[in-house]
Amino acid sequence: MTPEGIFITGLGIISPLGKGRLSTVSSLKNSFCGIHNVNVFTVAPDQLMPVADVSIPFEVEPGVPRTHALALAAARDAMEGKNCIPDAVIMGVTTGGMPKSEVLLKSKVRIPQEYTYHGAGTIATYLAEHFSCQGPALTISTACSSGTAAIIIARELIRHGKAEKVLVGGADALCLFTYFGFFSLQLMDARGARPLDKDRAGMSLGEGAAVLFIEKSQSPPPGSIAQILGGGISCDAYHPTAPHPAGDGAVKAMRGAIADAGISVGDIEYVNLHGTATQDNDASEAIAIRTLFGDRFPALSSTKGMTGHSLGASGAVECALCSLSVSEGIIPGTIGCTNLDTKLGIPAVLHPENHPVRIALSNSFGFGGNNASVVIGSADLRPPERPLMHVRSLNVIGLACLTGAGGADASFQKFSQGDSLSGTLSDEEISRDLPQRQIRRLKRLPRMALALANAARKDAGDKFHPSSIFFGTGWGPLSETYDFLTKLFGSDMRFFSPTDFINSVHNAPAGQVAMEFKAMGTNLTATGGDYSFEQALLMASLLASEKEELMLFGADEMHPELSPLFDPSVPGERIPSDGGGALMAVATTSPSGPAITPVVYRMAAKDSGWAIMNDLKVTDFHKHYAAIFAGIPSAYEKMAGDQLTDFLSSSKFNGPVIHYRKYTGQYATSSAVAAALAVKIIQQGFLPAGLTHADEVSLGEKGILVMGFGPYCTAVDIRN
Amino acid sequence: MQEAPVDKLPVDKLIDELKRKVLDILNIQDIGLSDIDTNSPLVGSNLGIDSIDILELVTVIEHDYGVKIDNKELGEKVFASFASLAQYIADNRTLI
Repeated sequence: MTPEGIFITGLGIISPLGKGRLSTVSSLKNSFCGIHNVNVFTVAPDQLMPVADVSIPFEVEPGVPRTHALALAAARDAMEGKNCIPDAVIMGVTTGGMPKSEVLLKSKVRIPQEYTYHGAGTIATYLAEHFSCQGPALTISTACSSGTAAIIIARELIRHGKAEKVLVGGADALCLFTYFGFFSLQLMDARGARPLDKDRAGMSLGEGAAVLFIEKSQSPPPGSIAQILGGGISCDAYHPTAPHPAGDGAVKAMRGAIADAGISVGDIEYVNLHGTATQDNDASEAIAIRTLFGDRFPALSSTKGMTGHSLGASGAVECALCSLSVSEGIIPGTIGCTNLDTKLGIPAVLHPENHPVRIALSNSFGFGGNNASVVIGSADLRPPERPLMHVRSLNVIGLACLTGAGGADASFQKFSQGDSLSGTLSDEEISRDLPQRQIRRLKRLPRMALALANAARKDAGDKFHPSSIFFGTGWGPLSETYDFLTKLFGSDMRFFSPTDFINSVHNAPAGQVAMEFKAMGTNLTATGGDYSFEQALLMASLLASEKEELMLFGADEMHPELSPLFDPSVPGERIPSDGGGALMAVATTSPSGPAITPVVYRMAAKDSGWAIMNDLKVTDFHKHYAAIFAGIPSAYEKMAGDQLTDFLSSSKFNGPVIHYRKYTGQYATSSAVAAALAVKIIQQGFLPAGLTHADEVSLGEKGILVMGFGPYCTAVDIRN
Repeated sequence: MQEAPVDKLPVDKLIDELKRKVLDILNIQDIGLSDIDTNSPLVGSNLGIDSIDILELVTVIEHDYGVKIDNKELGEKVFASFASLAQYIADNRTLI
């Protein structure tokens, strides 16, 4: 029997090279360079750096940020001619709604509704709503590898039988935040990016979006452009921004992708390099390429001298270019490179060539040491033999949480008595067990991350070593974001902190945790408002290998200025709160001991109760579950409350329902705290009287279902 | 030899000022002023700092002294030691 492949049957791209396949291919053939003076915003003459913007007109719905509009433009093209609804939407994004938010923040606009589209996760949900997708809308924010990681997760979702058709891609738009961030890092070339050139002096910032419609099939469906053969993710666990000098992480990601594709290194005919044109990236990537290919190099080129570096979008854009490479038989040139740096020791295709390509590899490496590589093959190749995989459960071997009440023990004690865990710990309390040198340039969220991960690992015992890190955060490092922008706007764009910039990316906290544990495996940061922890859990259950030791955690910080603007559940809160939860776990298909499994992730619908029951696949709900932990975000109190009522009626459950946000306070990753507390309750075997407001309830064999309601409905099964 | 303008601080005083600033800006709490070697490179010393910290200092130096250090080659020369940093600032400062 022919194995099932995952085919790209729709491809939308909007980049400095144009919109759509035809104009993109034409730009590739003509070596079109999209890098020129910035005109999306104004900067002082002595700060002028060329960028690559999308200069062709595209529709922008009023009130919607540029990033969302770019994503929709690409997604519309990917969906053209499709008479079906995608089962899931997965996007790689870093800036999210920042192009709009930064303008509002600069003008001191304090109306929360104006920031509705701020969250990086809102691009996926915007597309999901547009195309009526009822399934998961997930967002990966691992800086410059986001788009590539999104494609890998989409493929795993299909391979695990959780979806058949997925809309997947990446989007990012130019904004002051990233422009001045990279300016402060002195990483932009005043002459425009010259990848692999001996005089290269940095990158050029770009923007754009690429969205693929992918579907599984035993033979190429009509209109197939290419297929996704394999993917690999790794983490350098070396430095917040600099790549590993020997490219160890890059080699690991490329090897992983090639092995996953079931091919050998010699089968790769073209590599679209990450090739940012910074000294360090190109040098370490060249070493990685030499390590992998020896002296038998495939065609190599970097397209960032044409497109600029579109950060979260770049991986998706370059996978799209690789797809066009195999479907059109074109190898793009390394535009901007006139004198190939011979010290790199690799050849490069400098001018575009018409040449058949059957298998291409696309590389993306980002801040936080996040690496991802994808193998793209022509549609007529025999797909790799990979059996259908099972979603894994995570056996919890250690846990931690941070709440206004303190760590796990203090929080559990108060929770058991039915007391509140709301409030915020001071930065000093959070980081009291962390060495000062390690945290000297870290603000609130990365400190929370390190404290949580260290405590969960300590709880598990020293013999466990997490190799993969999965992190969920609704809003990312807000202190760094706020401080960077405040300094920028307060100095009339003259002064801004590079430290704040590098620590502002959503994946910075997970990068710190990876460095702490030297965890070189998968490293993913998921973001999607109130469901961020659930997204991280879902990704862990899809990507972790059998028996792999991993750290799963979620955290959000309360920032007095930004939290009330971004998180709609915060403004009504009497006691501002924040915190998170961490689980040190072993991934397995045969769970024993307290285990956590994602079971529901779907968009809210009229009949949510029935739909959730359908996803749960249990008939006698009360025989499976002793209690429900219900997450009702106050911003959606009516909607979420109705969903819960509907679910209780569908499931006929009349046991204890614990509204955990009443204890934790309102913040996006309060569900991570709820999950950690639920594990504790499972371990002790009974629900304390303080929680039931009646008698103790023995759990027996039953589990706890941690549910989330609102625009999305989620459920996480926790049981022995 | 050219006389230093009278309104400029002596380099020695500037060196102390810079050491204090570095400890403060980079939030280094476990070493004191006297532990810092005036003639060692900033990166790789007991300060335990890296290229990102240097870039942070670049913005502070521009803000406080009006001295731009906007490329890596210049940065490597200037941050070779506190002595070279102080000398470069003394020679180029536009803000007192």
